[in-house]
Amino acid sequence: MNRKFIYIVLALFLLPIVLRLAWYFPGFDLPRKIATPDYANFKMPEAPISTPQPEGIKQKDGVVLLDYSHSNQFKPSEFQVMADALTRRGARVETNSDATQLESQLKYASSYVVISPSANFTADEIRLILDFERRGGRLAFFTDATRGLLYTDYASGSPAVLPDTDIVNPLLESFNISFNDDYLYNLTDNEGNFRNVFFEQFGKSDLTWGLKKVTLYGAHSVKTDSGLALLIGGDKTLSSGTDATPGNDPKQGWAASALSADGNVLAVGDFTFMQTPYNTVADNDTLINNIADFLVSDTRQITLSDFPFIFKGSTASILPTSNVQMTAEMTGALSRLQTELKTLNVDMKISETASSGDMIVLGTFSPSDDLTKYTDAFNLKLDDTSEFVEVPQFGKLGRAGNGIILFSAGKNGNTIVLLADTETDLTTLMDTLSSGDLSGCVLQNDIGVCSIGSGGSFSTTPASPTPVESETPAPTPLG
Amino acid sequence: MKFFEMTPEERNRFLWWAIPALMLGILISLLIQKPVIGVIRLNDAINAYTAKDLISQITYAREHPEIRAVVLILDSPGGTVVDTEAVYMELSRLRQTKPVVTWVSGMAASGAYYLSSGTDYVVAVPSSEVGNVGVIGYLPASPFVFEDIISTGPYKLWGSPRDTTVREIEMLKQGFYQAVKLGRGNRLQVGPDVLLRGQIWPGSEALRLGLIDQLGSETDAYNQAAGMVHIWNYDIKDLYNVAVVLPSTTYASGFFLQTKDGMTLPYPSRPGLYMLYIPQLPAGQK
Repeated sequence: MNRKFIYIVLALFLLPIVLRLAWYFPGFDLPRKIATPDYANFKMPEAPISTPQPEGIKQKDGVVLLDYSHSNQFKPSEFQVMADALTRRGARVETNSDATQLESQLKYASSYVVISPSANFTADEIRLILDFERRGGRLAFFTDATRGLLYTDYASGSPAVLPDTDIVNPLLESFNISFNDDYLYNLTDNEGNFRNVFFEQFGKSDLTWGLKKVTLYGAHSVKTDSGLALLIGGDKTLSSGTDATPGNDPKQGWAASALSADGNVLAVGDFTFMQTPYNTVADNDTLINNIADFLVSDTRQITLSDFPFIFKGSTASILPTSNVQMTAEMTGALSRLQTELKTLNVDMKISETASSGDMIVLGTFSPSDDLTKYTDAFNLKLDDTSEFVEVPQFGKLGRAGNGIILFSAGKNGNTIVLLADTETDLTTLMDTLSSGDLSGCVLQNDIGVCSIGSGGSFSTTPASPTPVESETPAPTPLG
Repeated sequence: MKFFEMTPEERNRFLWWAIPALMLGILISLLIQKPVIGVIRLNDAINAYTAKDLISQITYAREHPEIRAVVLILDSPGGTVVDTEAVYMELSRLRQTKPVVTWVSGMAASGAYYLSSGTDYVVAVPSSEVGNVGVIGYLPASPFVFEDIISTGPYKLWGSPRDTTVREIEMLKQGFYQAVKLGRGNRLQVGPDVLLRGQIWPGSEALRLGLIDQLGSETDAYNQAAGMVHIWNYDIKDLYNVAVVLPSTTYASGFFLQTKDGMTLPYPSRPGLYMLYIPQLPAGQK
């Protein structure tokens, strides 16, 4: 009785406790361990080590013309790495910051480089650039997805970006190359950030020689139908435009650079890789050097239309032939020519014999032995008895009032031959040359014909002046 | 029934013991507190002030046994990396003893999703915005020297090289991804190639991708939390009212940029690294 009594009392004591526990807590969980990220072992991704540069850079002089007249979205200092690579090759970088000077600067440039422009090229500029390329000049276009021009859309008031691709694509149209208004990214295998993309597939070209891995930083993709894709992304490299591989084919990679079918036009969808410190990552420096080689390896032949930038060296020899005497008029014309050549950093020296460098040969339409070797190559028929000079491609030209310019390119130097009926006409022709502008002349390949007088100067008598016998010293024949 | 066959004397003696025992049992049972589901709300960006408040509430929940589970109600675009991680680690500590269920009432983007991925169960409204996994930050300026500011090292003034900051962001992203991967486990239906795009998804899509567990209401979240700790007949307590003595969030107005006319922009006012969703401004606002 007592024990039962105790059990009942105990049960009554516990009953409300158990009931309340049961009311609230039908079950219990034991403490558990919660996994959290292993923060201590996270490391910052490191850039792949740069590959050493091959030695033995080929020296090749030339001028690389850098566009800076289209509100280009870069600082000249950002081109310094490339400029250094060009300087090591003996080339010089010149900036075009005045579009009106483009025509004259393209006359002597080896290549023309455009980086992230944000102002349109005019039709005239496009014509000049395409003509430059047609003559063998090299073009390089760099766009960059991080360099678009930020502006406010007036209709919506929202910020918007004018992509540099819109400006460059019209220039690339005739080469079947175009940039996409996108950027490439890779979420899984990248250089520190999803938009820093590795490229490990390369089109076969001198531009990709020695490359195993290149990193581009926010690159536009490039499309080309007839050209060669140079840098091709892997199957995890996607375009921001589609978030996919091109054509949704995982085996086909996006290209970030392309070369035109004729090998003269390079398009690269990134510019950042050329800047410090990104130039030292992976094989970027090799790519920069390959591009520098490309920029100085133009196949452009200098023609008369490139005047006045037609000399190769820093000195041009003036060679008057035997029919030309140093009259006061001639001296004046030579001094003006000297002044003009000075502006081109070309020194002028008067020479009695032919030299192997750049030369300006002065002569008249009267045939002479020392002139023949320069005119024969052009099949020019000089005849004192005729009032015409037969010029191939031009036909018969009246002697009076016409001047002829012949241009021949040589291995060591280029030669210009100036011919006119009389010494007076010749000095006028020299002045035309000194003006630096042959727009008043008809240029056809390597022959130019300039109107330098009214035509009244022609006579059937020999054009060469008869030496005057006098006490005063006669002008010394120089030829 | 011998009990009822007790003599009056025995019955009296029994009742003399039984009634006090029952009363005592009732009194002691009253000491067993009614279980509570604590509610922590985040309706703002995660910054130093909101993080402090959140941590106060999490600590309160951890230290009070009557709080059996916590429901984290989120409507936040995320915030600074450091504050997000601080709250996340406190949440992880709380989860060792008490389950935490998230209810996404509006937005759990970036850092806010970081927090929700570190909870046991995520419920979201179908049209809520979920995801935006990733880190965003302003790069420091390229270092240069001032004539009138003297410092003892090239990065004393700038913090770190620009390139290092890029890589640091990548490292922080790894932490974020790991947190999601660990938190969601095999419930996550997508890999890093999708998750790390930084996309923000509606709740219904987030469910398909395994970023959340259920589409539902606030009540569903409470029920889920109660089910996880096997409690019935619980109370719901907003922990802000009990844990936050001084409401510091009132001082947090400087987190976002403000225009001269007082409009708050979605951009943080200070440079730094953020797990923050910054939506495109509506037309006409800049």
